[in-house]
Amino acid sequence: MAVNASRNDFASGAIFVALGGYFALEAMKYDFGTPFRMGPGFMPVVLGGVLVALGVAVAAKGIGKPDAEAPPAWPWRGIVLVLGTILFFAATIRGLGFIPVVLISGLATALSSSRNSLLSSLVISVGLCVLCMLIFVVGLGLLVPWVGPWLRF
Amino acid sequence: MKSFVKILAAGLVAGSALTAAVAVAQDYPNQPVTIVVPFAAGGPTDTVTRLVAAAMSEDLGQQVVVQNVGGAGGTLGAGQVAAANPDGYTLLLHHIGMSTAPALYASLPFDPITDFAPIGLVTEVPMTIVARRDFEPATLEDLIAYVKKNGEDITYANAGIGAASQLCGLLFMDALDTKMTEVPYQGTGPAMTDLLGSQIDMMCDQTTNTTSQILAGEIKAYAVTTPERIAVLPDVPTMAEGGVENFELGIWHGLYAPAGTDQAIIDKLTQSLQKALADEMVGNSFAELGTYPVQASDATPAALAQKLEGQIALWAEVIAAAGVEAQ
Amino acid sequence: MDLISSLALGFSVALDPVNILYCFIGVLLGTLVGVLPGIGPTATIAMLLPITFSLNAETALIMLAGIYYGAQYGGSTTAILINLPGESSSAVTAIDGYQMARKGRAGAALATAAIGSFFAGSVATLLLAFFAPPLARAALNFGAPEYFSLIVLGLLVSIALAHGSILKALGMIVLGLLLGMVGQDIYTGTPRFTFGVRELFGGLNFVAVAVGVFGIAEILRNLENEKEREVGVKAVTNLWLTRDDVKRIVMPILRGTGLGSILGILPGGGHILSSFASYSVEKRLSKTPEEFGQGAIEGVAGPESANNAAAQTSFIPLMTLGIPAHPVMALMIGAFILQGITPGPNVINEQPALFWGIIASMWVGNLLLVILNLPLVGLWVKMLSIPYRVLFPAIVLFACIGTFSINQNIYDIYAIAFFGILGYLLIRFGCEPAPLLLGFVLGPLLEEHLRRAMIISRGDPMIFLHRPISATLLGLALLAVLIAVLPSIRRKRAEVFVEDD
Repeated sequence: MAVNASRNDFASGAIFVALGGYFALEAMKYDFGTPFRMGPGFMPVVLGGVLVALGVAVAAKGIGKPDAEAPPAWPWRGIVLVLGTILFFAATIRGLGFIPVVLISGLATALSSSRNSLLSSLVISVGLCVLCMLIFVVGLGLLVPWVGPWLRF
Repeated sequence: MKSFVKILAAGLVAGSALTAAVAVAQDYPNQPVTIVVPFAAGGPTDTVTRLVAAAMSEDLGQQVVVQNVGGAGGTLGAGQVAAANPDGYTLLLHHIGMSTAPALYASLPFDPITDFAPIGLVTEVPMTIVARRDFEPATLEDLIAYVKKNGEDITYANAGIGAASQLCGLLFMDALDTKMTEVPYQGTGPAMTDLLGSQIDMMCDQTTNTTSQILAGEIKAYAVTTPERIAVLPDVPTMAEGGVENFELGIWHGLYAPAGTDQAIIDKLTQSLQKALADEMVGNSFAELGTYPVQASDATPAALAQKLEGQIALWAEVIAAAGVEAQ
Repeated sequence: MDLISSLALGFSVALDPVNILYCFIGVLLGTLVGVLPGIGPTATIAMLLPITFSLNAETALIMLAGIYYGAQYGGSTTAILINLPGESSSAVTAIDGYQMARKGRAGAALATAAIGSFFAGSVATLLLAFFAPPLARAALNFGAPEYFSLIVLGLLVSIALAHGSILKALGMIVLGLLLGMVGQDIYTGTPRFTFGVRELFGGLNFVAVAVGVFGIAEILRNLENEKEREVGVKAVTNLWLTRDDVKRIVMPILRGTGLGSILGILPGGGHILSSFASYSVEKRLSKTPEEFGQGAIEGVAGPESANNAAAQTSFIPLMTLGIPAHPVMALMIGAFILQGITPGPNVINEQPALFWGIIASMWVGNLLLVILNLPLVGLWVKMLSIPYRVLFPAIVLFACIGTFSINQNIYDIYAIAFFGILGYLLIRFGCEPAPLLLGFVLGPLLEEHLRRAMIISRGDPMIFLHRPISATLLGLALLAVLIAVLPSIRRKRAEVFVEDD
């Protein structure tokens, strides 16, 4: 890109502005209160405003200072598979139960590395499943069904 | 897709549960029973539950496991048990918060009365009205006059919305028809710290938390909230002695199963609870906490149901009068 | 009873073979569980608490204390090896400890943590034995205004945590403060930023946020250029400290011990500040501050010592007054009560064997910990030779299961994913995660104490200046800002003068 500015500073500034803006705007709905009795909205509105200002400052500082290094490639496969696995784990741990969820999660995460083949990923996920069962369910007494109610007949 | 699987699965579970229910009651319990405590491990409710669970394990011949599901003033754990399979293997031990939840939380995912099958009352922990060591009033009468006179100049610590200490304060202000400045804390521990350091004036809390400090002379005790004086604090008068009638408050604890649990199982659990409460070890441990097990006649489904209904009505009124909104 | 005979009584209890055995089991279990990703000291104790129920009071509490320092130490191990802090204190250790590990110096980092912890633990235990009651009394002078000023000071000093842009570090702190406010407001009960999800009423879970911004973000970073370079940490070159290392860690350990001991006594959140404060101090005093964040051994030695000293002295308010300084201490109160002892001012007189026994066992426990862990350093470091493609799925799974096992709350796991991607983006764009975590743990405290101080003072902000301790702390905060800003002002003025000439 030919823009004479730091892409990193712009991006992080934008994240700060967006999040600060969200917190401040959402907090406007809460009672602001008075200095004596500050309401639940007081601190978030103030801090959200500060964060927006900091975001603008961060971005402004990046003007005229383009990044020295080219940005690294996006690890799309990793992002989708790792985050997808975590979401899958959360959504199904109660329903599917420990064994199926851990097996599938282990397999999917292992596959997010291009260094793992399907076979090595399978081995990893089975190994991890046994290990996790021993540590958490047998050792620490985690109360989770082996196989969840969705799969029971 | 996921919700479809869920519905399908839920249907299958419900169907199989119905047919199995009859057979289940006879050999109950044939696997470990879980009691959910809707608060963090180590708190007073958790302690009470673990003591009772240990005694019930012996009686039932199966392990009774305590599981802590904390959050949202106890409503998360209660909600989880309300939705659990009514097979007698998932129970709930909750305190007075069961009766205040409807007034404090909008859109509760459960109804304390229709979603649970009561098993019995467990204990009722007395409350004490205490103040910093150097607080002016000398006696309960002095205190009442002082609070009426100084009102909002007095700072009153509580452990946050819906906490026992807040409920007690609301009731106290209601009885004296005055308002003090409420200072909420994240739990009674920090509140007690500030009381010990004379950063604030007053508090009302369970004997579990206050007895040792009172006996050591670190804080002043003005009254207990029971109908009669209690054994561990024989010098502290009751509210009635100070001329405040109908001020009775205890943090009562009850044991529940999800609604729809087989009656035979409930009966078995009630018996087991009564045996546990009669256990000498449990009695001694409760005494250390400044409380006592309830009479066998109160460790029954009927007594708990009656308590729950009465308290829901009472707190709905007190909480609304105090202007606290449901969230 | 004088101190010598008290300590003799204590050691007679602590050195009882049965108690030594359980202390050792506690330290071992604590280390093993604490080392699991996503499980910090609080979770470890909560999970292992039931094991101690069947023991008698002294043995149970000695074992529990052992579990506590074991878990604390285990948490630092994960922070160093795989950049996964399980508690706010080890978030600081992760900054330089993980960088050391990446440079093949994991052994030195772990050894430093063990030695620093042992020294700090021993000193803090002595402090506990000699001065516990008066110190606890003194700490009670800290009310809401004092804590607010202390936190402001802590936040201002901690900008040193950043080794890059100060503006970005400030942004991360403020973002952390805001994230700390998610959940039900304790003053009014209003749920904030919860999207109506009741599972979020209690706020975001620290472990979920830490695992996300540190652990998951790091994994995504490592997956970026997988094809071109070997990821993860380098093979270990030297297990032990060099002579130069030893020279470099002596002063940080001493300073960290002092700072941690003092902060740990304050029940309202002092221990949280200890490791952050120590890191800032070391960076300020260092002749080579640019090394911090790149694997400076002082950045491990100071905070680890401070953290362990604070962990030890935070027993002071518990044992002398019966008030818990943090969640772990609240669990300990529960354990006391289950053993039929109500913690309070009378424990020291009514149960001298228990009181002094626990104090003596703390020293024994720290010794056992160092004996156990120095040989274990080799084992932990070996785990790093597991290929990263096997290690990282394990980290992800352990983190999910570990976090889930604490509260059985699936929203904590959704939070890991959210903070994983947010942390990854922010780190990619040049922000650092440690200030965010500092803000996150201090945010609720800052707001709570500010609002409480204003209620107590009836809305008069002068309360912060009228109270001497608070005024002093604010003065120090101002001084810290001046010291940070002055050099650059002087430089600018110098430039102006040069132009004028």
